Amino acid sequence: MSAIVSVENVSKTYHLGKTEVPALRGVSLEIHAGEFLAVAGPSGSGKTTLLNLIGCVDTPTAGVVRVDGKDTSVLSERALTDLRLRRIGFIFQSFNLVPVLSVFQNVEFPLLLQGGLTRGERQRRVGELLQAVGLSDHARHRPSELSGGQRQRVAVARALVGRPRLVLADEPTANLDSTTGATIIDLMRDMNERDQTTFLFSTHDQKVMAHAHAVVRIADGQLQARETLQAAS
Amino acid sequence: MAPSLGPARILLRIAFRNLFAGRAKTLIIGAILLLGTALVVAGSSLVESVDRGMRSSIQGSLGGHLQVYDDRSKDELALYGGMGREPQLEPIIDFSRVKEVLSRVPNVKRVIPMGIDQAMVATGNQIDVALEKVRADVRRIEAGERDDDLLRHYQAHKAHVRRMVTLLRDELRAARVLADDQLLQDRKQANEDLARAAAPAFWDGFERDRLGNLEFLENRIAPQGMEGGMTIVRYVGTDLDAFLEAFDRAYVVEGQRVPKGRRGILLGKWYAEEYLKLKTARRLDKIKDARDFQRRTIAGDEEVARWVKENTTQVKEILYQLDPIQAEEAAARLRRALPSEERELPKLLVQLLSTTDQDFDRKYAIFYDQLAPLLQLYSIRVGDTITIKAPARSGYFNAVNVKVYGFVHFRGLEKSRLAGVMSLLDLMSWRDLYGYLSPEQTEEIRHLKQVAGAQAVPRERAEAELFGGGGAAVESQRASRIDEAAVLARIARPAKAEDLSARVYSQLEIDRGVVLNAALILDDPSRLAETARAVDRAQRAAGLHLKVVDWQKASGVVGQSVSLFRIVLYTAVLIIFAVALVIINNAMVMATLQRVREIGTLRAIGAQRRFVTGMLLVETMAVSLFFGALGAGLGALAVWIIRAAGGIPAGNDQLYFFFSGPALLPTLGTTSVAVSMGIVLLVSVLSGFYPAIIAMRVTPVEAMAADD
Repeated sequence: MSAIVSVENVSKTYHLGKTEVPALRGVSLEIHAGEFLAVAGPSGSGKTTLLNLIGCVDTPTAGVVRVDGKDTSVLSERALTDLRLRRIGFIFQSFNLVPVLSVFQNVEFPLLLQGGLTRGERQRRVGELLQAVGLSDHARHRPSELSGGQRQRVAVARALVGRPRLVLADEPTANLDSTTGATIIDLMRDMNERDQTTFLFSTHDQKVMAHAHAVVRIADGQLQARETLQAAS
Repeated sequence: MAPSLGPARILLRIAFRNLFAGRAKTLIIGAILLLGTALVVAGSSLVESVDRGMRSSIQGSLGGHLQVYDDRSKDELALYGGMGREPQLEPIIDFSRVKEVLSRVPNVKRVIPMGIDQAMVATGNQIDVALEKVRADVRRIEAGERDDDLLRHYQAHKAHVRRMVTLLRDELRAARVLADDQLLQDRKQANEDLARAAAPAFWDGFERDRLGNLEFLENRIAPQGMEGGMTIVRYVGTDLDAFLEAFDRAYVVEGQRVPKGRRGILLGKWYAEEYLKLKTARRLDKIKDARDFQRRTIAGDEEVARWVKENTTQVKEILYQLDPIQAEEAAARLRRALPSEERELPKLLVQLLSTTDQDFDRKYAIFYDQLAPLLQLYSIRVGDTITIKAPARSGYFNAVNVKVYGFVHFRGLEKSRLAGVMSLLDLMSWRDLYGYLSPEQTEEIRHLKQVAGAQAVPRERAEAELFGGGGAAVESQRASRIDEAAVLARIARPAKAEDLSARVYSQLEIDRGVVLNAALILDDPSRLAETARAVDRAQRAAGLHLKVVDWQKASGVVGQSVSLFRIVLYTAVLIIFAVALVIINNAMVMATLQRVREIGTLRAIGAQRRFVTGMLLVETMAVSLFFGALGAGLGALAVWIIRAAGGIPAGNDQLYFFFSGPALLPTLGTTSVAVSMGIVLLVSVLSGFYPAIIAMRVTPVEAMAADD
């Protein structure tokens, strides 16, 4: 089984003034299709950096990141953007919906950027997803009219609407209470099971971690062991 | 389906929704842009309309399309006068050459000779007028007529003159207290004459030598009454027929044109109203004008009230004009019309002239219907011969007597001082006043010199001839050569004084001689610049030493005032849009910084950079275009409303000229609308530029940042 993502001996160093801050130090990781993988670690451990590198929003200082078989460090800005658009879905800690667009329009947005679908096809696909995340009745609402949990569901729908091969979620439950957080993780896992979409999410919450198939632990910019959690399934 | 249609739609949707979301900001930016474009459209429409009005005023009254004058002139041509004086222009010695050369240039329709100057005019003499009546009576009496009516009028006319002489003596006696010894010595004879004329003995013995006494009064006394009766007249010496044909705004309002080839003057009607009209009548006209056209009232306006007061205190001027019989008639008429029981004419006049807002129109009508027919309203009448005195280039005063054939108005500019102060004088009289000679006069002088034994000496050889030295370089001074001729002309003239007014000059005589400048009328005014260049080439080729200027340049300070309006307007517009630029830029930068997370998210999800920059540009452009169009519409509406309301009234005579009529009717300039929209677009693109760059630099990483 080929890897959707392969990270080979990747380092990332940030410059804060004159001091160099190593965020990742020689990280290697492979993610395979259909996985539901959690990256766990305390804050500052390098979780977000790893997700940014895999999400093609940042490039490594050393090492190679391959997404869908492509080395991200040799792609142009435009090609990286296109890769994100067609292959990756994003779920953010702060939901990051476009405030002036309705729920439906937020979800539809990536489809419009991708192009190629008719209005009817878009409506059907957005409708299906809104039903799947349980927000069919809120299609016309603005994000400001929704609760945090509902907003994150919209974000999940938006991440999945373009049928990406990989969905990245950086601390998706950090801004939610634990019950709501758990339902979001469950929703993500349902989606993973339904479409076999690969999920990679970061968290520092033990309870959230428990919902993943597998967990990679990260500390001080280095990966620890990869644990497969039997209990979860 | 085009692949980019989807992104474009969502881009517009987000952009517009953002505008509505930030309503307050959008409205502030919008208001500034609205103000700016409204000002551009309304302001430039007004300025262009003034420009058109002034163009029409200048071109139609004096300027023509182009003007030429000698390029060696010290000053620049200023048709409406320079800074407080007439510009010093080097003369064009032979106009016929200029006419011949320039008439051949394509698109030149007419070449009108001109010379503008100011001079003094004796504005009639009340004693002369009164003496004229006495003389007419005397003529009939000497012829043997003896009817009662004639004798009664004769006595009345004599009494009128006697009263005037007495008043004049009293006036001069008062003045003598202030004068120095030398002046008294000079005036000794005049004072003795005056004393004699004022003495009862003179009038008791008047009948013994009517004609002799009359002559004494006419020659010795009347001239003394002339002092103070001078005004300055500004005139253009020109080929009168060609002028009236070329300048369609000029028309004879009273009297007639000067017959072809004759000497004569057409006085500016405005000038006549302002300077020659009986002061009381003039003030009544001004009060009427202020009330009818400027919405001023006697009760509410200090100046108007002052005119009323001056009219009631200065009735003497009217009394001075009336002989006893006329005075009685005037009193009778006023008693009937007012009506009043008052016996005394002075008091009746005061009653008539103490007007209020309620009775002004009635009393104005009484003045013109009842009193005016008994008065001489203008101190110079059509048919009078007036004496114009002007300082010639030599420094001597030249004087010509010229008949007033009529009054001239400039259509649409009836109330404008700039146009209406101008009188039209025949070119021959103008040349006499200016001190230049026609070739024919030069010939006459040559003849006189020969008779006197003088020898014509070429200037280059003058020194050698006179002092016998070797030909030293003599600086050629054109002015002095002409002065010399002018002085001689004065000597020559008296020989043929009286017949001048009857002489008919040929076109050749009119054309061959000195002028100061010439107006060019074009067939197609739109090709003005091109024709100006052609004229310049032609005059250069012919060696005429001319400077070619357009009507605007030729009009001097007046022409520049529109440029000044324009500069003021454009400065205001520039400031407004500069402010708009800064404010929009600021607001958009703020908005962009506030939306860094949102932009980062869009980028992370897969929006390209150009999507984000496009979104911001659409936002600024949409606001700019919307409010710009609204502002342009508002400006257009303002222009329309001004038109519908009858235009902007010309509050003073200066504006009358700029507006080319009693009101400015602005028309909407299509270019001004286009220009305003162009400026708005430019401002929006410029102000959206920096925020767009900021937005472009936002990386998707920004979307990942956690709330804090």
